[in-house]
Amino acid sequence: MEKASHLSVIVDLSPTQWHLSAQTSNQYPLSIETFLSQLLAFLNAHIASKHENSLVVFGALPGKSVLLYSSTELLSDDVPSLDANSYLPFKLVDSTVVQRIMNEFDAIGELEEEPSCALVGAVTKALCYINRITHPSSTTAGVAEDPSIVHDPRILILSVSPDLSSSYIPIMNAIFSAQKLKVTIDVCKVYGPDTVFLQQAAHLTNGSYIYLERRDALLQYLIMSFLSPTSIRKILAVPKQDKIDFRAACFCHKNIVDIGFVCSVCLSIFCQPLPVCSTCRLATLVPWLPTLTLTDTERSSLSIHSNDSMLLAPFSLLQTHA
Amino acid sequence: MPVQSLQNTDVIVPQHTPHPLLPFLQSQSQTTLTRLYQRPSSCLSIFRLLGPIERQLIMNLLWLESALSVATISAWVLPEGKDAYDSALAVMTGLHIAQNSAVKLALNPTFKSSLRQAITGGGSTGSFGVPTDKDGKRQSANIENLDAYALERWETILHYMVSSGQGQNPTKPSQGVLYLLQRSGLMNNAHGPALQITSSGFQFLLHSPHDQLWNLLLQYLHMAEERQMDLVEVLSFLFMLSTMDLGREYSTEPLSETQKAMLEDLRDYGLVWQRKTSSKRFSPTRLATTLTSSSPPLPSSHSTGGSHTADGTGAVALSSGAAQQGFIVLETNYRIYAYTDNPLQTAVLNLFITMKYRFPNLVVGMLTRESVRKALGNGISADQIISYLTTHAHPQMRKNNPLLPVTVQDQIRLWELERNRLKSAEGYLYKDFASQADYEYVLAYAKQLDVVLWENAAKRCFFGTLEGHANVRGFIERRTGSV
Repeated sequence: MEKASHLSVIVDLSPTQWHLSAQTSNQYPLSIETFLSQLLAFLNAHIASKHENSLVVFGALPGKSVLLYSSTELLSDDVPSLDANSYLPFKLVDSTVVQRIMNEFDAIGELEEEPSCALVGAVTKALCYINRITHPSSTTAGVAEDPSIVHDPRILILSVSPDLSSSYIPIMNAIFSAQKLKVTIDVCKVYGPDTVFLQQAAHLTNGSYIYLERRDALLQYLIMSFLSPTSIRKILAVPKQDKIDFRAACFCHKNIVDIGFVCSVCLSIFCQPLPVCSTCRLATLVPWLPTLTLTDTERSSLSIHSNDSMLLAPFSLLQTHA
Repeated sequence: MPVQSLQNTDVIVPQHTPHPLLPFLQSQSQTTLTRLYQRPSSCLSIFRLLGPIERQLIMNLLWLESALSVATISAWVLPEGKDAYDSALAVMTGLHIAQNSAVKLALNPTFKSSLRQAITGGGSTGSFGVPTDKDGKRQSANIENLDAYALERWETILHYMVSSGQGQNPTKPSQGVLYLLQRSGLMNNAHGPALQITSSGFQFLLHSPHDQLWNLLLQYLHMAEERQMDLVEVLSFLFMLSTMDLGREYSTEPLSETQKAMLEDLRDYGLVWQRKTSSKRFSPTRLATTLTSSSPPLPSSHSTGGSHTADGTGAVALSSGAAQQGFIVLETNYRIYAYTDNPLQTAVLNLFITMKYRFPNLVVGMLTRESVRKALGNGISADQIISYLTTHAHPQMRKNNPLLPVTVQDQIRLWELERNRLKSAEGYLYKDFASQADYEYVLAYAKQLDVVLWENAAKRCFFGTLEGHANVRGFIERRTGSV
């Protein structure tokens, strides 16, 4: 029997964005109720595929991220009543997720200025969760072929908010951890402009990034692109992006830049040159030359003439691919 | 036996072996299957039994209203997956889940609507079992009692099979079970009035509990038609059981007559528990709820601290705590140490091991030539012995790579090959040909018919099979008659 797979779903629950998405001025307005009903059908489909499939749902709210549902730990006290016409695990997922989301929305209340959505926090929590279940700390049983050991962890991010440039560094760190854990990150952009960082996340972890054009067909998009585990994706292809926007955000002001300055030692990106790199404290005595591009000979001649007692190469210019 | 296809001895390469129930379903007619698909729980259970590619294809087509053209779907298939995709389509068409014409592909409408209902909840078929309220007067069964009950029933059956030929007198399972065992060829009374285990029975004992359970259920399904039980009702009841919640009680009111009659049989196999025969409620045991999954259906026979959650369905990842732990340590000097006190496991080990010592928690034995030959004589193959030892290997053995010592594995196979030294075949020896030309002519004819087993050109004789004798003889007579 093939192994179980794990799916972590991160739902972006920023109230302002959802309000905008439900406006009828959009070509395909999508309110959060419709979205949730289609998402729940997708979650049920994942659980239906195999008895041992595990599922965890995180919600990213303004200012905090919460665990909405986890199939391995039962958090809610009131188990829904059993009903002859529905399968209990499905009912459990659906009622827990909806109940929790309602509670969180009630708790938000009225705020002057909405803090930014904690998407990165949710991604980090999802990675920690996956790490916990794939490498159980106590190997008492040590059963090598236990079917409930997770084989193929995936993260699905359903995003409606635009990019948050202050989250560039945390997202890149999350991507590197995901690569180490062999986690596939898929992204579905439900509403809002294209997010650069999430595109990179999907590309670097071999996942798929979808920008929804037909929002009324959300469920079909979800099922065809994000339901299949990695082993099936080698047989039935899922859509991926061809052109990835590889822009980065600078470390000093958190602006997204096309052209910037890169420290030669630690590769931190800055929009303006600094005498001392803030990450690795590399110091340089060579002043910034007003020419935009340095040829190789000029650059090497500069380094020869620098002061030998202090550190080494000057800043170099780097143009990122647009 | 259909179970043979499930023998997945190579645990390193994950491949999908089709579930044994699928060929049985494919042999049913379309109307039967459509009636079966009217119930959402049956659709869900069958969906879980299919392979991953089939499941993904079904999901892709589930929420579409119109049929999809074949060209669109094949555009999604990568070149290296073409064969897998074709076989998946064949399975789906064979089960009448998908209607596949050359141009368009659509799901069976009954299946489609039932599976949609299963996923979103709804409908009015009550196919997931009607739960009853907790009875304040009497105590309902909790999960440990259900597990203990299922284990006791199941092991009674297996224990009876193992010890049938050895003069012990274990507790007998009920008549229905004995009849089933006899009909499935696992036991027969060829050697006397009492039932004795057959060679296929020995092989059955070494399979995993899932395979054993499905083997018996398939046999039950085959017999169902003779007993005038409606196959659709039997199957729907089994599928309903597999979607039920462990530890709840369900009412017997909405069950049909056939299904109420099945309750008694299922009680004997340990799939359901009822307080008494006339009780209006029943509870499924873990054997039933894990029918369509690969979680271990029986708790471990050691009393490990069972990780017990309030709600039985949530224990997906926690079921590893109750997994059947390995208990066999095999050394390179052919000694086996089995840390078990379970009489059934000891009896199964006794089939191919010479026991040396027994302690309260340990059984020590040796794999000897005589013991393995005895097992081979009973019909067990070397591969089955090796896979049994691999599946039940103690966690300590996992440090070895490969798991079992290579010397021991090779030696078991060599002992099996020893039995293949002689092969006998009945036939006729043709000799004393008049001339070389005659001999060669007849030999060429016999070779055309492919009946020659051995020839010797120097002595001008050859050996032909029994079946080919009539043809060769006729040929010779025609030749001698015409000359």
